[in-house]
Amino acid sequence: MPRLRAMKAAFEHQARHFLSDPGWLIPNIILPFIITLVALLLYGSSDGPVVMYAVLGGGMMGMWGNTLYASGYSIQSERWWGTLESVLAVPTPLIWIIAGRTIWNALIGVANGLAILAVAVFVLQAPITVADLPLFLLAFLMTLLSLAALGLVFSSAFVLTRQAGVLTNGLEYPIYVATGCMYPIAILPFWTGPLSLSLAPSWGIDAIRIAAGYNPQGLWDGYLGVLDPMVAYAVDIIVVVVMACAYLVIAFYLFGVVDRRARIEGNLGRV
Amino acid sequence: MPENVIEAQELVRIYRSSTGFLRKKKKETLAVNKVSFSVGRGELFGVLGPNGAGKTTTIKMLTTLLTPSAGTAKVLGFDVTKDPVEVRKRIGLILGGERGLYYRVSGRQNLKYFADLYGVPLQQRDRRIQDVLDMVGLSEKADSKVEDYSRGMKQKLHIAKGILHDPEVIFMDEPTIGLDPQASRETRKLTQDLINQGKTILLTTHYMFEADELCRRIAVINNGKIVAMDTPQGLKGLVRDTAVIEVEGFGIDDKVMDRVRKLDGVRTVSATASESKQVMRVQVCDAGELLSPVTKALDCKVIDVRVKEPTLEDAYLWLVEGHA
Repeated sequence: MPRLRAMKAAFEHQARHFLSDPGWLIPNIILPFIITLVALLLYGSSDGPVVMYAVLGGGMMGMWGNTLYASGYSIQSERWWGTLESVLAVPTPLIWIIAGRTIWNALIGVANGLAILAVAVFVLQAPITVADLPLFLLAFLMTLLSLAALGLVFSSAFVLTRQAGVLTNGLEYPIYVATGCMYPIAILPFWTGPLSLSLAPSWGIDAIRIAAGYNPQGLWDGYLGVLDPMVAYAVDIIVVVVMACAYLVIAFYLFGVVDRRARIEGNLGRV
Repeated sequence: MPENVIEAQELVRIYRSSTGFLRKKKKETLAVNKVSFSVGRGELFGVLGPNGAGKTTTIKMLTTLLTPSAGTAKVLGFDVTKDPVEVRKRIGLILGGERGLYYRVSGRQNLKYFADLYGVPLQQRDRRIQDVLDMVGLSEKADSKVEDYSRGMKQKLHIAKGILHDPEVIFMDEPTIGLDPQASRETRKLTQDLINQGKTILLTTHYMFEADELCRRIAVINNGKIVAMDTPQGLKGLVRDTAVIEVEGFGIDDKVMDRVRKLDGVRTVSATASESKQVMRVQVCDAGELLSPVTKALDCKVIDVRVKEPTLEDAYLWLVEGHA
């Protein structure tokens, strides 16, 4: 219970900080929105599936941007403020504190994705329909959790480095590309497949598209052939859950290693 | 419960760093070298030393923020490397300086966050926060953002944060650094109040009068080693056979100090500046014999020359200049 309480406190603390700094609007709301807008203008004359890719892509970019922001910049900020040492001096393990923050940012990501969807449908009149809303929401939630778990894995490394901001920027676009949030990953070169398939969000986005009814070329195409959409959806969700759990196990292990190393190297107070 | 609540045995800390990219050069810096001491329950123990002496590194090892390279340390019977979580539950860390606080939220929100991270019982949390705010005198500004606080108010918040979970042992790392005289005095009073409540405190400081006023015992650390450990009176006794010639004037620079330092019978020379004038303190074996040579060596405008009894600062200077 003390750990869950610390996680809740970190969640609330992150919310206060996030809202007190208007800077978060740019990477987390405005940038994904602009990219979605440009994609919609480019694909404007196309039919449903392409438009759906554009809108979902913008939403995913917002969610991933938020996750990276939470795991990277919040630790960088702790270094700048000199609070990282104070946080590591408390009895609560750091992973629970970072997890609380990551959950807040994941929730902001949901709001971001929904805002982009709403603007696309109501303002830009994008022709979007969702074939199966419950399955769509389930896939959306699972994808979000997998993104948060992936962010937690990366954040362990951010504790050790004083270049978390640079790493955050460097990790933003490769994930957009590898997960195929704007297009089917089947159109990427074959050798990128292992990277794409090792990222849970790739599977989650595929499940979202299947649930929305826009999956003429699924994740499996080009690898294992065409599957029945419902079978493909079920496999996608199972893989997302398993991978997210694996990310959490890896994150717990890495945070233990990083905690020990940070105290051995003695660079926690350095900016 | 153990009699000594802090025990350091032969503590060593080596920092390893490297420079260069293709041809990396590794460098090792010995920051703390076989430091041993113990602090009794309810004692205020001071660690004095110049910048880079190893004071903060020692505190960081005792508060589990740094892993010792060798040696052992126990706080309340718990080993800092084997039972770090048990140590963290029972200690408070008070840092000095502008950093270490969340500026964009209020002081109360800072405290609420740390109360949750330290697991202060929920039923007592808000009451406890108000109590520590009252104790440090920050209640009126508790709901203002920390970025609007003065330096002294930030230090009060540091203290409130460090005692929030009612720790038995408190580590204070230069808590009065950069504070104006009034804020420094308030901080010293708060420190004394904590001792009166039965807390055990380890305090590092640069300020001799602070250590003299507050500490029961003092360890002087220089180049990572403890060069002396005694009561303030005991340390002053190290320079019992010394007198101090204090010169107040204008234009007391390094050249003047070097000339004085070269005189036979001069032990240490130090100077402090206030506004445009300087005060030079010259430790000598025999003030009567050296008063005239020192005065003659002064190629500057002299306002006053006095002979004084040695203080803790004189003992400290004597120690850190390698006379131990």
